[in-house]
Amino acid sequence: MITLVRSELYRMATIRSSWLSLALFGIMAAAFGIPESYFWAVFVGLGAFGIAALTVAQSHQHHTIALLYLARPRRVTVLFAQVITTVLVAVVFAGLSGLTVLVKEDGSKIYFATLYVVPLMAVFGAAVASVVRRASWLLFGFGVWFVVVEGLLGRLRWNLPISAYLAAVGADTETFGLLVFIMWTAAALGVAMLALPRDLSGD
Amino acid sequence: MIETLDLTKTYGRVRAVDSLSFTAAPGRVTGFLGLNGSGKTTTLRMLLGLTRPTSGAALIGGSPFSELKSPLRQVGAVLEQGIVHPGQSGRAHLVTQAMLAGVGRDRVDELLEQVGLADSAGLRAGDYSLGMRQRLAVATALLGSPEILIFDEPANGLDPSGIAWLRGLLRDHADAGGTVLISSHLLAELAQLIDDAVIIAKGQLRYSGPLLDLYGSATGRLRIRGRDPVTLWRAFEEAGAKVTTDDEVLEVDGLAAEEAGEIAFAAGVPLYELSTDIPNLEQIFLELAAA
Repeated sequence: MITLVRSELYRMATIRSSWLSLALFGIMAAAFGIPESYFWAVFVGLGAFGIAALTVAQSHQHHTIALLYLARPRRVTVLFAQVITTVLVAVVFAGLSGLTVLVKEDGSKIYFATLYVVPLMAVFGAAVASVVRRASWLLFGFGVWFVVVEGLLGRLRWNLPISAYLAAVGADTETFGLLVFIMWTAAALGVAMLALPRDLSGD
Repeated sequence: MIETLDLTKTYGRVRAVDSLSFTAAPGRVTGFLGLNGSGKTTTLRMLLGLTRPTSGAALIGGSPFSELKSPLRQVGAVLEQGIVHPGQSGRAHLVTQAMLAGVGRDRVDELLEQVGLADSAGLRAGDYSLGMRQRLAVATALLGSPEILIFDEPANGLDPSGIAWLRGLLRDHADAGGTVLISSHLLAELAQLIDDAVIIAKGQLRYSGPLLDLYGSATGRLRIRGRDPVTLWRAFEEAGAKVTTDDEVLEVDGLAAEEAGEIAFAAGVPLYELSTDIPNLEQIFLELAAA
């Protein structure tokens, strides 16, 4: 497992476009955190989802997942290694980009609340990507879901994943929101594990 | 040893692979031949645990791939058009894989040199030509020094020198006791390399065995030209051969070259030409595939 995580971290670190986009998004999140800490929490949540989802989906898109399965045929091991990798990257991303929030007088509460929930968002993103497997479908679907279903229809009040995340990291940190988000994450991970034995698509 | 036992894969009503049984033995290069869509890649992917068989078994050294203890040290695989993240350099890709295989960076440098990518190792793989990606894929497969190699169309995109290099590499691997299973549509190239052939069509086995037996089953025809074709024709037919002509030479089936020479000598007819027209692999393959 540790070897897999190391190799995945190395792969991410040696793909210039990965860490460049990560750095740019981090700078943006940090900048948004200056006027309003909650904006940073939203950005970081979206970023954690994006990091995790794109890492896993791209391994299917470029077929490098096959190399991982050839190295470790137990697919659940590969999934958990990808989840751990994306959690580590997401936490570092959140931790560093949130320094602008942490230095504020009242920023530490939302900073740490977000830091606790961001790993869950990374797990959720990795799990969903493992099921969907296609980066473009995933990002488009996520956008539509977030804006239309959770935003326009649910007005971010329904107990849906992103709304729950936002409730969990809000200034009035909601334990119920966190519980709902944990349940969504667990469900996504469960579905991902059930979907693991599917054949890998070829070219 | 690579072995499939009644291996079957269905997609809906389509039987992509249908009760396929064959073996690829150590010390030999086995060619896996079939037309496009015949089930070659599906079979290789089942051997590598990437596709689930509907029934039957695909075994590597007697075990399914999923049960191998250290797969990268036992099996090296080349799939598709060389799998690599286009944003990673060739070297970084190999280092990533070396971590998984548990080998050091010195092995990476050694392989980059061996496959001829040392000078372009720092370039993004997305900028590589198809041939370079194939060389990188071969290097990836060889990282763990595995005993078994499973290569799916590894010669795609390689130039003639690359193909010759690959042929030498696989030959040496088999001569050292390794097992090589290779699929390719470059039959002329394959004919120079393989010891055994497995031919499939529509997912079903058409032939499995030594290449020489395959040539033997499609017996070589003699082409004979002599001073007196009529006498020769009669003499060969009396010896039990079947004789035809294309108006220039006699085409004789059912005799070895030595027998035909002796018969002509006994008949007192000087020969100007005596050659064996061995059917090429492509011809045999197409006949079997169409059967």
